[in-house]
Amino acid sequence: MKIFSSYHPVVLLCYFLSVTVMVMFTAHPVLLAEALLGGICFCTVLERGNQFFRNLAFYVPLFLMIAVVNPLFSHNGMTPLFFLNGNPVTLEAILYGIDIAVMLVAVMYWCKCYNIIMTSDKFIYLFGKAVPKISLILSMALRFIPLFKIQMKKVSVAGKAMGLYSSKSRVDKVRSGMRVFSVMVTWSLENAVETSDAMKARGYGLKGRSHFSLFRFTARDAVLLSLTILLTAIVLTGTGLGSTAFLFYPKITHMSFTPFSVVVYVAFGVLCFLPFLIEVKENMKWKYFVSKI
Amino acid sequence: MEIFRLENLSFTYPTNALKALDSLSITIESGDFVVVCGQSGCGKTTLLKMLKREMSPHGEKSGHIYYNETELSEITEHTAACEIGYVVQNPENQVVTDKVWHELAFGLENMGLPTSVIRRRVGEMASFFGIQEWFRKATSELSGGQKQLLNLASVMVMQPKVLILDEPTSQLDPIAAADFIATLQKLNKELGLTIILVEHRLEEVFPIADKVLVMENAKIIAYDEPREISGILQSLNTSHPMLKGLPSAVKIFSSLGKTEGCPLTVKEGRNFLAQNYSNDIFEMEASPFSPNSEIAVELHNVWFRYERDLPDVIRGVSFCVHKQETYCILGGNGTGKTTTLNVLSGLNKAYRGKIIINGKKIKDYNNNELYHHNIALLPQNPQTVFLKNTVRDDFTEISKVMQYDSQQQKQEIEEVTEQLSIHDLLDKHPYDLSGGEQQKCALAKMLLLKPKILLLDEPTKGIDAFAKETLKGILQDLKSQGMTIIIVTHDVEFACECADRCALFFDGEIMSEDIPREFFAQNNFYTTAANRIARQLYPKAVTCEDVVSLCLKNEVHHV
Amino acid sequence: MFKKISIYIVLLLVIPLVIATGTMLFEGRRFVFISLVIAVLSCVPFFLSFEKKQGNTKKMVVIAVMIALSVAGRFLFYPIPFFKPVTAIVVITALYMGAEAGFLTGSLSAIISDIYFGQGPWTPFQMFIWGFLGFFAGLLAQKLIKSRFWLCAYGVLAGVLFSLFMDIWTVLWKDGGFSTGAYAQVMISAVPVIIIYAVSNVIFLFILAKPIGEKLLRVKIKYGL
Ligand SMILES: Nc1ncnc2c1ncn2[C@@H]1O[C@H](COP(=O)(O)OP(=O)(O)OP(=O)(O)O)[C@@H](O)[C@H]1O
Ligand SMILES: Nc1ncnc2c1ncn2[C@@H]1O[C@H](COP(=O)(O)OP(=O)(O)OP(=O)(O)O)[C@@H](O)[C@H]1O
Ligand SMILES: [Mg+2]
Ligand SMILES: [Mg+2]
Repeated sequence: MKIFSSYHPVVLLCYFLSVTVMVMFTAHPVLLAEALLGGICFCTVLERGNQFFRNLAFYVPLFLMIAVVNPLFSHNGMTPLFFLNGNPVTLEAILYGIDIAVMLVAVMYWCKCYNIIMTSDKFIYLFGKAVPKISLILSMALRFIPLFKIQMKKVSVAGKAMGLYSSKSRVDKVRSGMRVFSVMVTWSLENAVETSDAMKARGYGLKGRSHFSLFRFTARDAVLLSLTILLTAIVLTGTGLGSTAFLFYPKITHMSFTPFSVVVYVAFGVLCFLPFLIEVKENMKWKYFVSKI
Repeated sequence: MEIFRLENLSFTYPTNALKALDSLSITIESGDFVVVCGQSGCGKTTLLKMLKREMSPHGEKSGHIYYNETELSEITEHTAACEIGYVVQNPENQVVTDKVWHELAFGLENMGLPTSVIRRRVGEMASFFGIQEWFRKATSELSGGQKQLLNLASVMVMQPKVLILDEPTSQLDPIAAADFIATLQKLNKELGLTIILVEHRLEEVFPIADKVLVMENAKIIAYDEPREISGILQSLNTSHPMLKGLPSAVKIFSSLGKTEGCPLTVKEGRNFLAQNYSNDIFEMEASPFSPNSEIAVELHNVWFRYERDLPDVIRGVSFCVHKQETYCILGGNGTGKTTTLNVLSGLNKAYRGKIIINGKKIKDYNNNELYHHNIALLPQNPQTVFLKNTVRDDFTEISKVMQYDSQQQKQEIEEVTEQLSIHDLLDKHPYDLSGGEQQKCALAKMLLLKPKILLLDEPTKGIDAFAKETLKGILQDLKSQGMTIIIVTHDVEFACECADRCALFFDGEIMSEDIPREFFAQNNFYTTAANRIARQLYPKAVTCEDVVSLCLKNEVHHV
Repeated sequence: MFKKISIYIVLLLVIPLVIATGTMLFEGRRFVFISLVIAVLSCVPFFLSFEKKQGNTKKMVVIAVMIALSVAGRFLFYPIPFFKPVTAIVVITALYMGAEAGFLTGSLSAIISDIYFGQGPWTPFQMFIWGFLGFFAGLLAQKLIKSRFWLCAYGVLAGVLFSLFMDIWTVLWKDGGFSTGAYAQVMISAVPVIIIYAVSNVIFLFILAKPIGEKLLRVKIKYGL
């Protein structure tokens, strides 16, 4: 298991929220580049080796597509480079295309990491605090899905073995899918009502339900949480004060390099690379232990 | 001290005119281990559900149920939920959440206990039931046996005073079932828990019960100590169907015409034989296996796995089944028996090896040819075969698929319902049937397909001894008409009585196969109770009839 | 009652406040921000009011089943792209179980199916649109149950709305602002998908509405829901 995923779900949620929200809503090239690199590094340590290249094979074309399409359709900007079909292709549009592409790919990488780290039990735990009933519905639905998938397989196989619609034609396939689905509805509804009886039989609905989880908030969670909050606050202050304002149209603004804006860049960089650094540190620690054994 | 008292309890389902329970009056003592038995559809599940308020079905009820001297409908919600624990018939249906640890904590959360208490109780229960290894797993990844254990554990964490279980071992292999029962016995002995249990396989539970309750047609016909039950049933009717379901020791004892000091356990049975009979004659006439020369099914070094990166489930299975043979496959939970049947019927594709059905490779069959009067498979879960709103519609649909004309259609359905005596069920919704009734209807559907090769996956689960007897008769008939039958089962006694050859499935392949007499005589655990009782005197006796006949011979011999 | 009022006050205050700060902080991409916040917050009152109600366990389980079915259906029809029963299931649930159940089935289906297919900034939008498709189907239940024509019409409309709405999001997301040109262009490229959506909704509603409806009714009667 990855060490980052063993942090308390609340801390993880705060962390992911603050990174992704800032990535999604900023247009500043430095911040976006940091987020993209941080996301790639993090994703790479989370996944197995060859996945890195598979990711690239997917994201590079996507990146190029977004970066190229924007200047073709958007003709804002003051610096035309050349004309295509009588329309100006501007420097600003090209750079903006690249900027957006960085942002989209960065968000995708971060969502990927989020999906790996935030397993359903953490998600349910977070939901369960705020909206217990809804979270129970979600939890049940999550339990039903693999169950239904297995049962669907069984029903369709049982049907096939009785000689029902098992020819290979398209129509038969859709019909068989529909039939399986309809059987599944009966099966799942009938059996689920028994589940709800079993829930009540175990006291669901008594007053004062408590909330149990295996997650515990420890000192290192507190450290990560405070760090996240501190860094986020710095970046947001910077954004609020306008030191990271950046516009592409009508003309590209100059990048600001005041001491404060540098502090903001650094703060965001640290924030983005935190999980990566934590993982690397953990790995080194293991190597060290193993070498001692 | 009494814990439950029923007074004139009757119950009728809204969709069914007949009473499901008919004026029951009994008292259950605190700390007792009560076993409830009776034929399929006699109302056992209904009775248990009436005892657990939250599970009580919708319908018309009359009479009274008292729990600790208080009317059941008047006890507080908290008491009703926490003091009476209920484990449902289908293990799948009780699981609420998606993680094992959460499932264990669910009841305690509902009771509003603080985290520290939940932590302690969950930890203790998980250790007691040996759940540590899969504590953090998803509930959907558990095997049937694990699910049943989890259900029991997650009820037990709430520290109930009464535990009600509905056929908890129906899907377990004999060894796991014995373990499960032993756990129950421990709970009953050490914690003084009152246990009310429904079972069809009485071999293990009968001896440890304090009271046995026998039901018939919605009524109670006997409620007494296990030793007395045989006598009571015999006084009602000398060939009472429930007599067939009693443990081997009792059956042997009563077949030998004895009356005093009935043995219950294997050990008592063994002592009884040792004291009363010699083993001057111990050989059984050997009837060697003489197969039909035609081979119906042949598997040759077959390998299968569910997904590329999952381990192999079947590792080089080879066996062949002759025409007109009944072949029984036994083996532990999750070893791959069901998977083998699926591979053999072409529903899962083996990635290596050869499968030949009726002299033709399985790959060479196209489309429906394989399933048209050729192979039929009764799946482990009978609910998967019902597609319509009544049993009759289901039967009609299948006859249509088989292209019978309407005259033939009627006749076929008539015949099958007659054979299995399921006339009353035809117009019911398949999901309104009791577990055993569903099993029978699903089997009927398979018989309508008129296959040459019939594959049955645990056909005896949830049905009573008498229905098993009927099933045995039907299978014998079919066999004599030329059908080949392959059965996967956990029911050792059933396999022993109806198989031509038995096989043990282990570690992804068939480990041993032989005629039942040799097969069971060689095994220590995977063998019939009759064999365990008699093996020191008559090592080759495997069924109750064997033992009885040898005993009688030795008796005569003596005189 | 006091709680209810306080919830509304919080909502009335929180929404504008969040939007105001967001707009200030993220000037360049404020539309994305606003739309996301609105999508999320408009689901909140439904969730909270459901939480406050006296619980009906059976109803909860039925909703969970319908959610699971819609997601499992997405797997079942995996080989045919965009041909999915999710909307149909949401609509059918709404017809027989009421508008609230419809909203919950829709919005929670979005969450659950994105747990499998990847969560991201699009999740709140799917929650919003599926939730409201369910909600309105519930409001129009009487008419839609009676007439297959209107039901299918609703299916077409739902398919079109779903696609149009998600396209607005795409445009906002990519460009940071809304322009009709970009929108038209995205929409044109999405026409085949819209058609498949609409057709699949009609097919699923046409075939499934009655049998599933009957099953829901049967369960309602059998277990006294
Ligand atoms: N929900 C229901 N609606 C209508 N009839 C029902 C319902 N459930 C059970 N029955 C009928 O009531 C009778 C008793 O059923 P019950 O489930 O109690 O049987 P059982 O003794 O537990 O049988 P088994 O051993 O097969 O589980 C059966 O005839 C069955 O068909
Ligand atoms: N659809 C599936 N996908 C992946 N693994 C599976 C699937 N079905 C079964 N398995 C695994 O394959 C193994 C064999 O399962 P199978 O159902 O064949 O066992 P079995 O011998 O029939 O057990 P039982 O006696 O409990 O019915 C088990 O370990 C099980 O977890
Ligand atoms: Mg039963
Ligand atoms: Mg099996």
